[in-house]
This record gives sequence, C-alpha cells and structure tokens, in this order.
Amino acid sequence: MGNYIKDRMPDTDGWMPFSGLEDSDALPAGDIYVPLEEWLQNREALLTRNNRLGVLLKNTDDPAQLVPDLERLDLVVLEFPKMADGRAFTQARLLRERYGFKGDIRATGDVLHDQLFYMQRCGINAFELREGENVEASLKAFDEMTVTYQPATDEEFPIWRRDGK
Amino acid sequence: MALQVYTASLLKEGLVAYLCLEEGAASWTSDIREATAGDGDALTTLKITAEKAEQNNLVIAPYAVDVLETDSGWKASTKREQIRAEGPTVSLPRDASTVSITAAGRQAA
Amino acid sequence: MYQYSEQDHQLLLERVEQFRGQVQRRLKGQLSEDEFKQQRLRNGLYLQLHAYMLRVAIPYGLLSAEQMRTLAHIARKYDKGYGHFSTRQNIQYNWPKLEDVPDILDDLAAVEMHAIQTSGNCIRNTTSDPLAGVARDEHEDPRPYCELIRQWSTFHPEFNFLPRKFKIAVTGAIGDRAAVAVHDIGLKLVEGPDGNNGFEVYVGGGLGRTPMIGKLIREYLPKEDMLTYLEAILRVYNQLGRRDNLYKARIKILVHETGEEKFRELVEAEWQKIKSTGLHLREQDIQRIKDFFNDPDYENLADTDTEFENMLLSDPEFARWADKNTELHKQSGYRIVYLSLKSANQPPGDVTADQMDAIADLADKYSLGHIRTTHRQNLVLSDVKLKDLVALWGELKALDLATPNYNHLTDIISCPGLDYCALATARSIPISQAITERFDSYDFVNDLGDLSINISGCINACGHHHVANIGILGVNKKGEEVYQLTLGGSAREDASIGKIIGPAFDADQIVDAIGDVLSVYLENREDPEETFLTAYHRLGQAPFKEKLYG
Repeated sequence: MGNYIKDRMPDTDGWMPFSGLEDSDALPAGDIYVPLEEWLQNREALLTRNNRLGVLLKNTDDPAQLVPDLERLDLVVLEFPKMADGRAFTQARLLRERYGFKGDIRATGDVLHDQLFYMQRCGINAFELREGENVEASLKAFDEMTVTYQPATDEEFPIWRRDGK
Repeated sequence: MALQVYTASLLKEGLVAYLCLEEGAASWTSDIREATAGDGDALTTLKITAEKAEQNNLVIAPYAVDVLETDSGWKASTKREQIRAEGPTVSLPRDASTVSITAAGRQAA
Repeated sequence: MYQYSEQDHQLLLERVEQFRGQVQRRLKGQLSEDEFKQQRLRNGLYLQLHAYMLRVAIPYGLLSAEQMRTLAHIARKYDKGYGHFSTRQNIQYNWPKLEDVPDILDDLAAVEMHAIQTSGNCIRNTTSDPLAGVARDEHEDPRPYCELIRQWSTFHPEFNFLPRKFKIAVTGAIGDRAAVAVHDIGLKLVEGPDGNNGFEVYVGGGLGRTPMIGKLIREYLPKEDMLTYLEAILRVYNQLGRRDNLYKARIKILVHETGEEKFRELVEAEWQKIKSTGLHLREQDIQRIKDFFNDPDYENLADTDTEFENMLLSDPEFARWADKNTELHKQSGYRIVYLSLKSANQPPGDVTADQMDAIADLADKYSLGHIRTTHRQNLVLSDVKLKDLVALWGELKALDLATPNYNHLTDIISCPGLDYCALATARSIPISQAITERFDSYDFVNDLGDLSINISGCINACGHHHVANIGILGVNKKGEEVYQLTLGGSAREDASIGKIIGPAFDADQIVDAIGDVLSVYLENREDPEETFLTAYHRLGQAPFKEKLYG
C-alpha cells in the first residue's frame, strides 16, 4: 500500500490488513494482520494458520498485552495518526527492548521522511510512507545523522559509555 | 459589509505583505495602505489569488484583515493588525553603526 | 565550561545539513508549510507577527566570550543589530530570513552553539542557576548535571513528539534562582543521608493558563539515578499526557488529573524496570563532565581593596551600583557582577550587537571569559576581582549596563508582547517602559527593597507574571488592551502563584495602579526591612483592593 520501505530498502508490502473476524466464515489466505482486540478474542483460531501473523495496535494500546504471543507473531503495526502524536515511539521501544520482539515493526499513518531516523532508533524497521513522500529521498533519512547521544534499540549505552569505555 | 484585505508572510523573508490586485495582475506590498480591499465576490477573488501565491510558495498562511478607509489609504481595524502593518510600537535598539534594512517594497506575485 | 568533542561537532554539522536540505525542499515547494513547520520549530525558528524569530539555545545560561561575539555577529549580519535574552536563558533574534537560517546555524555551530529543540513539543533547553559554581549558598554546582541532561535529551528518538513542550530546570543551592518550582521537572541538589548529594524531584510545575507549583514526587534521588528517573517520567508523560486538547497537554495537567500519589507510582513502576539500564550514571560518567566545571585558578586575594572602599565613600553613584548590582562570591577577593539589561533606553532583555561585543571583551578582561544569562533577562559576570570593580563599573556605565536596580522595582521581566509576538493579546514592552519612567528615582526604588514586577502580553505567561510579587497580564477587552494585576507571586524557594486583585486597568491607568500598590506597601510595612512579599502575605488583599478600587 503506497510507498513502502523495509529494512532500509524499497519493498512491496506482502501483508493484508484484516478486520471483522466475527462476521466472516473463512479467513483470507496469506499473511494478515488484525487489530489487537480481534487478536485477543480469536488467538486460538489465528494461531492455527500456516501463514505469518500480525497485530495492529492503536497508539493507546499497551504492547504488554502481546507478550505471551510475541514468539509467534511476525509483525506488529503501530500507528502515527498525526505526525505530532509520538506515542508509538514508546510502544516500539518497549516491544524491542523490554519484550524482546524479533519480528517486524511497521509504522503507518502520518509517516514522513523527517521522522524515519527516530522511528528506526526506536526499533521500527518497516514504513508505510505517507502519500506523496518520495521513497528515494526517504531512504537517505536513515543515514542523515551518524552521531547519537542516548541509548535506544540500536545502542545500549549513552555516548559517554560506548566503545568499551 | 466590512471591507477586507488579504495579508500573509513572505516565505523567504518572513516579512508581512498585503495583496494588490490590479487588472488581474497580483503583487504583494509591505504597505497596507496600497492593498486591494474588497467584499463579496471581489474578496473571494482576493482569497483565491492569495491561496495561489501560497501554493506557489511565495507566501505563508494568507488571511483576511478588516480595514477602515482613511485619507491616506487603508488602515487595519484591530490593534494587532495595526501593529503588524506598522511595525513594533517601540524603537528597536540600535548601535550607531547599524545599517537600516530597506523595506520589502512591491514584489511581483 | 563543557568543550565539544568531535562527535558533538559532528552532530551539529549533520543537523545543520539536514535542516539546510529541509529549507531547500521547502523553498522549492517539495515540503508543505505544515510538514516543514515541525522541522523548523525543532530548529528554533518561529513565524511571528512581523517576521521569523530564531531562538538560539544557551545551555544552562552559560556563554563564552567567543560565543557572545558570534551572537553579535549574527545580530549584525543577519538581523537588525540586536538580540533579546529570554526568560529561559536563551537569546532570540526577531528578523532572520528563512534562506539565511542555515548559514546562521553554520556560524553558531562553529562556536558550539545551536537552536536545537528550542521550540516544538520536545525537551527544551535545561536552565539553571546563573550563579552556579560561585554562589555562597551552593551545595554543589548543578551545571554538570544540566550538561548530562542536555546530551540525553538532544534528538531523543522516543521523546521528540511529546504531547507538549517540556522544560527542565536544575539548581544546587539553598536559594532558587532558576524558578525550579514552575518547571515541568525541577531538580534541586540537596545534601543526602549518606553524606553525598542527591536530587529532590519536582514534577508538574508550570505557568500559562493554569499555573501550578511542582509536586515533590521524589524526596531524594541518588545522582546515579538522575537520567533513568527522568526517562521514566518522560515515558509516562509520552504515553499518558493528553493529546486531545492543546491547553491540557502539559505534564502538570497529567499530574493534576492522575493525582500526585498515583502519578508517583506510575513513574516508580516504570523506573524500577529501567534503573539498571545504560543510562544509569557511574561515578566516572559524572566526574568526566564535572571536570569541565572545575573551579578556575583563583588568586589568593584579601576581601578588601582600598580603591574600592574609597569609591564607596566618595562616589554615591558607584556605591549604589556596588550595593545593588554586585554580590559576594564564594571566593575571597572576588565578586559576582550583575549586568542590568533594564535601563530605560531599551526593552527589557534587549542588547545591541556593539553591546554584545563589548560585554565579550569585558568578560575576557575581568571575568575569566564567561558570561551567564538569567531567567530575569539580565546577564552575570561571575568571577570579577574586587579590586577591578571600579574600573568595570566605569566601562559598564558607558555601555548603559549599570542601572542599579537588580531584583528591585525596575528590574522588570517583560515578554516581547504584541509588539512582536503573534500569540499576544496586548503590548507589554511599553508598559515596562512606562513603569521605569514613572519610578525613576533611585531612592524610591531602593527604599522599596527586593521586589519583582513581571509583565506578560497574553495568557501564555512567557513573562512569568504569575510568579512575580506584582504581576501584570495584558488582555484584550473589546479591542482594547487592558491589564490585570496579580499580587503575591514568587519564583524563588518560597514559590507561590500570584492572585488577581480585581478588575483590569486600562493602559493609561495601570502605572497609577502600580503606584497605589506600592504606597499601600510603604504605608503598612512593619519596618523598611519587611519586603513587599512578606508584607503582602501578612496584610492580605484587603488594603490593596481598598486603595485600588475604593
């Protein structure tokens, strides 16, 4: 959907968002991700699938609710409803650093070139860019800053404690 | 039936400018007295012209300002817009050697 | 003073390049104003009433002479020849052009300065005591901790899109000269149980529409836990701070609505999970920064000087200045000197380029090459020898920086107000000038003693009127500028929010009203030693109301 970057490369999005599990008799084939509520209600059924599984969190959801299932999940999708709403930065960091999630974390919503560096530092590795964003230019965002001060998912220590100091 | 002019900030300089529309030719001036005022359809035309200048990245955030007529031209009706048109009401600190910056003057849209 | 490492420099250069790219994309129309606005704010660039405004950071208020000269150069080359020192120890330029800003940032970067995060919903400049390192009532110099906070908060990837702006202040003395009580987070170094120092942690102070005094959520925090604890507070705020209403989005509202106790629990619960992670400060991490702030090689000087003492007796003008604008220093033979930016001739806090250059020279000549800014919009030369005071005074007088009014009536804080600010509802600078003109008698000002007047041109309270002994708030009533009076505020260790005294005054009545307030004080004080604030607390509002409204 739109301009999609994964692991610092342009990519095609192989996932399908799906909701309304209650109403459907058969789940679609392929890799799907569902809203958290539906995941919690239909885990068993979903876990029997052979495809990859993903969950979509609202930025007011507590990612701790996914902890029992993180081993089985391949994707968590986080939302940035407006560029200024930075709650998902915390969700991403917690998923990576506290809960040890190893799958893909994707940013959707108002995702612009100018936040990609911060998003990446917080552990987000896949990006659905906002309509109109230029993929080529956006790829450069990951390398725009080579110096970071504080720990995040990419650095355990602040700048004054790195290099085995 | 208040008359209004259109104002905005110039993108590059950040300075205040007012829209003049004469025979379809648009330009921006720093002097509110010379702005084009209108209401009804004429105002709509001003609005469209101002928004086009915004889309063309000449100005930022155009909006309409109520004006009153005076002998020397238009004057803004609110204190805020008067100050915006005329500059700070206090003298700017100056060194003896300061070169004054020339006014924006008329600029083609 | 902290010296940039290669990496610090690299970071600045990369940021300037990044912003240069953003400016170019904006000018070409590849970025809309909405998108660009977030970026330009995070580089300190506002759009104000008449022009852009650039706010340059002065971390914890400390400047080198070289940096001051660059500030002068910027004023001269890119602006209208002056700058304005703000209530958060920063400097503001009122007339930069967008296309010049990347070059301005380059010039700043060359002297280890920047405009990073001086605007936007992110962690702002950490402010501190302008007398840090030299005050006699100091437990410990707070500046190393400010520097650690600066590094931790700069481009913090998780906390760059907070619900609202975030302001931190740190002090290390008994007196509070940094308004710690009205910051989002206030840290006060205090003596700890184990003989070490640690922090009292205050959260949820603030001014604006809903002024509040910060709540003590941690009585004692060991130094090593400073950054992990701050991270915990910010994480709770990022997750739970309100995003639905701009006017309810500061952390003070979160603390208020959650309840102090519950808020503390949330922070402690989060902190327990991260207290041993990478941000935990080891002894050597703190010492490394402290080493940049060691005492200079003070000379061994007596605390007397013949020339100084003679001048005190023979020159009343000098004596007034020495009394008001100098302060005892922790080191014998030295003094702290206040540079008053509150003469009648310029708006409060404004300094011309020539003055800045001259101040830089004075710093080099008399004060070990450093200058401090204060939140009351003045400057400080922190390490002046007693025997140099006479000479320094002569030079300050020539520069109009020697008005003997520090912490007295005409040492007024004024926000830029409607003359400059797009948010303002009334003008503030003309009011400060009118007050200064009316009460120009030194004897009168002196007799009033310790007294603060702060003026804000709108409800956002950038002039800190809530925490002044006499606060003035300019509002718009049916198109006219009118002024509300509050009494009894304080920004110091006895912090309090002033109370509105009654209906607002017109612009031509407000100075008389101030006069009335002052005469009530003079008529009712117990003795000349009783300050205005103490008298107000004792007397209550009644006599003031009576005099003002009859």
